[in-house]
Amino acid sequence: MSVIPDVIERIRTLVWRGREEAELDEELRFHLEMQAERFEGEGAGPGEAWRRSRLALGGVERTKEDVRDARGTRWLEDLAADVSFALRTMRRSPIFAATIIVMLAIGIGANTTIFTLVDAVAVRNLPVEHPEELVAIGDAYSPTSSGQGLTTTALSYPLYKDVVAHGGHLGSLLASGPTGRLDVIVDNHSGELEHPAGRFISGNYFAVLGVPAWRGRVLKATEEALATQSPVAVISHDYWTKRFHEDPAVIGRSIVVNNVQAEIIGVAPPSFTGEVVGHPADVWLPIAARDIMRPNEGRALPSRRFAWLLALGRLEPGASIEQVRTDLGAFIMRTMTENAAPDDLDRFLARKEQPIIESGSRGFSKVRGNFETPLFTIMIGVGLLLCIICANVANLLLARAVARRSEMALRLALGAGQGRLIRLLLTESTMLALVGAAAGILLATGANRALLAFASDGAPIPLDLSVGGRAMIFTLVVSVTAVLLFGLVPALQASRYAGASAIRSGTRSVTGGALGARGRRVSIGGLLIGAQVAFSVVLLVGAAMLTRSLRNIQGVEVGFDRDHLILVDVDINVRGYRGQELTSLANMMRERIAAVPGVRAVSYSENGIFTGTEWSTTVSIPGVQLADVTSTQTGTDNVSPGYFSTIGARVVEGRDVEAMDIGPVARVAVVNQAFAVFYFKGVSAVGKSFVLDDSIPISIVGVVADPRSQNLTSEVRRRVYFPYSARDTTVSNPTELRFLVRTADTPGAVVEQVRAAVISTAPTLPIDRIQPLGTLMRQSIREERLVASLASAFSLLALLLASIGLYGVMTYAIQRRTGELGLRAALGAQGRDLLQLALTDAWRLVAFGAMIGLPVAIASTRLLRAQLHNVDALDPKSIGAALAILALSASVAALIPAFKAARVSPLVALRSE
Amino acid sequence: MHGWGIAQRIEQMSRETFLVTQGSLYPALQRMKRRGWIKSSWRTTENNRRARYYELTPDGHQQLDVERALWNRASGAIEWILGTRTIPEPGKA
Repeated sequence: MSVIPDVIERIRTLVWRGREEAELDEELRFHLEMQAERFEGEGAGPGEAWRRSRLALGGVERTKEDVRDARGTRWLEDLAADVSFALRTMRRSPIFAATIIVMLAIGIGANTTIFTLVDAVAVRNLPVEHPEELVAIGDAYSPTSSGQGLTTTALSYPLYKDVVAHGGHLGSLLASGPTGRLDVIVDNHSGELEHPAGRFISGNYFAVLGVPAWRGRVLKATEEALATQSPVAVISHDYWTKRFHEDPAVIGRSIVVNNVQAEIIGVAPPSFTGEVVGHPADVWLPIAARDIMRPNEGRALPSRRFAWLLALGRLEPGASIEQVRTDLGAFIMRTMTENAAPDDLDRFLARKEQPIIESGSRGFSKVRGNFETPLFTIMIGVGLLLCIICANVANLLLARAVARRSEMALRLALGAGQGRLIRLLLTESTMLALVGAAAGILLATGANRALLAFASDGAPIPLDLSVGGRAMIFTLVVSVTAVLLFGLVPALQASRYAGASAIRSGTRSVTGGALGARGRRVSIGGLLIGAQVAFSVVLLVGAAMLTRSLRNIQGVEVGFDRDHLILVDVDINVRGYRGQELTSLANMMRERIAAVPGVRAVSYSENGIFTGTEWSTTVSIPGVQLADVTSTQTGTDNVSPGYFSTIGARVVEGRDVEAMDIGPVARVAVVNQAFAVFYFKGVSAVGKSFVLDDSIPISIVGVVADPRSQNLTSEVRRRVYFPYSARDTTVSNPTELRFLVRTADTPGAVVEQVRAAVISTAPTLPIDRIQPLGTLMRQSIREERLVASLASAFSLLALLLASIGLYGVMTYAIQRRTGELGLRAALGAQGRDLLQLALTDAWRLVAFGAMIGLPVAIASTRLLRAQLHNVDALDPKSIGAALAILALSASVAALIPAFKAARVSPLVALRSE
Repeated sequence: MHGWGIAQRIEQMSRETFLVTQGSLYPALQRMKRRGWIKSSWRTTENNRRARYYELTPDGHQQLDVERALWNRASGAIEWILGTRTIPEPGKA
């Protein structure tokens, strides 16, 4: 049997339903007339003939119904009828419908919002050819870092070439590395500096990804390592549009990148923003350009100690990622081992790093590393929120089902099947959900951007957040699930009412009710409230824990004056300030900034505080046996005289760094408490010494109380502070300059004056960043803040919804019992007794919900453990707080209707029956 | 042939053995149309009246052959079963 005529016929009957009906009419009339004529011919009278003709046919309407059924479009016609009925019902009680739609819009919208973020950050593949074939080598979560020494988090250029030559089940392999800040001059006349985002890439970059040029051409393999003085550049479609206004003449034009002429050879297609998600590139430059454009930062290309490239390869047909991992993993370890200096190798092997080889289908992303876990946590939260909303909506529908008992009973009595009634009610629910979903999608398109802005906290993360096909499908699935959750129980309930008795009892008040929790219908309402309470408990406990954890983080001792510091980050590498020149620049700048009104003190250091830059070195302590190589590692910084008094750190022993320490021969250092305790165990560290690689001892002149340098969450590392000066030791000279400005009042007010002072001192010195330290610290915990604040918001919303639900159920129950309450009042019950009655019932529901919710909450907070700081998984304070809030809001929800009922005069109440 | 005609034919051909309700013919026709076995068109009868005429499509002819073969097998089998059954009966009696 062919399907096509079937489908055509069905569509035809649907589209020309009116004509179809008319034709059926005509056909049957013809039949009846012919048959009647025959009977007349056999001698019947006209009336008799007509009657017998109809009899022979077996009923005109019956036949028509049968033909309609045979058309196979019955369900569609029913659906259309149901939909229009549902719309009419919605119009008849617009507030009821609006309430449900708004709730669903919030629930579905929240889920879609988080999904678009999860999708953009953690799920979506790169917009390139066959992304599933891609394999990433290196730490895909840190595409913008580079490091000295041996590490497997990134590849050195020679190692990349070795891997390419080796193959190892990869058909082709590209590499890309961070450019840092680029100083670009597009307009030669104005000479104005701009800072597009860039990426250094291998020559096969575009070819491996399968991305063709939109205009011009892409990089050639030969251009990768060509150390020419004018490298080529490919620009993104976005940059071409925004900066060059889609000028086709841009091909062949030169721009100046970090003082180097670069020729634009092509434009990338619109959808392609590079392989780093959340960090779209504007300019792609060949790997060779790294050493030309950053001449003051050492030569990266020939060095095996400079790990700065991430690689993306394409699997050979039939090869698996496991094969690559085995083969290339061993090859990389072997190659690194063979080419490393012994010292480097010891340290590297002690860290037990393994090559990182994972699927590269989603590209590289720092944002993913930061937000993947928080987003999945939030996803669970919004899921719970939707469950609560569904329970709430179910309760509303249930209440209305009671009001529609007579209608349903009438339908049943008129011959509607129970299945047909359930379908009708589910259609109504689906309509509500679909309208809710549409509103939710609208909500999501705005909300996800707002959320991202909130999450990124002043450091924008460019992500594609359009609600695409996948998000739509997700929303649809969520909505359908929601309908089943909130629509099915009320539909089953409503369709179950027996016929005649319900018609009669529809106008009569029902005794019993939620207060007594008797009777089947009401117990389902109570059950739904219980479920809402249970979900709320889970959300509240989770939110309370995350909030307490955030408090702990925010309140952690930082070891410096967090409220009165500004960090100024200047780029000394553009001009290559080093040695004496650098020290005099720093000191001059320090004086000029110190002269700004409102500035109390200025100091500088190489790494600064909360900048994300860290250096470490190996030390040995004369007379101390160290267990393993990792215990020789310590963080380092180079700091100016008076550094600790400026930042407000407490020197617990000895002294601060002083001016006399500056100089090539001074061999002193200040250490932090973590260092002192670890190596000297309670014995005073001042006067002791330690040894760097060159084995000349450095004496400790002071111990400082652990200033936190990079984050608020992890343990404070051991750290050594050297005087900021040129030294002829193996510890490298400072390559960065960061000022810490202590202000008298809030730092925000003097930021601009400080900036002006820096610019007036050295007009050509680029300022990378100038920010109050409070901002930097806040940014360092943006994931924790995001999760805690969203969890709190969701749980409060959940609480509100659960309270509204409870309020509704209590109001309904009390209304039903107005007569009884009146009677009680007439017999001498006090208002207080009535309130107590209501409270007991409300608390019973809460206790019921909490009994279910608490174990679930306790079990699920184990999932949060990794995100909690100094909060137990079984934190009694959080659980207590959650329950207290819940009991309080439940009481309020119950007392409002109870108060109203208590105020009604007994006479009025009695008459209401 | 139009619906009424088909009904008449069935009645005549079966020598009035099958007195089915005529109404059940129309849903059957509708179902066959959906399956693409027959097609319909409006034409005028000899008496100059408009009627819906049905005719077999090539698919329909094929299906008719299939059904006929099936029926022959089935009815043959039934005949045979009834036949073999009727033989021993007198002996039993």
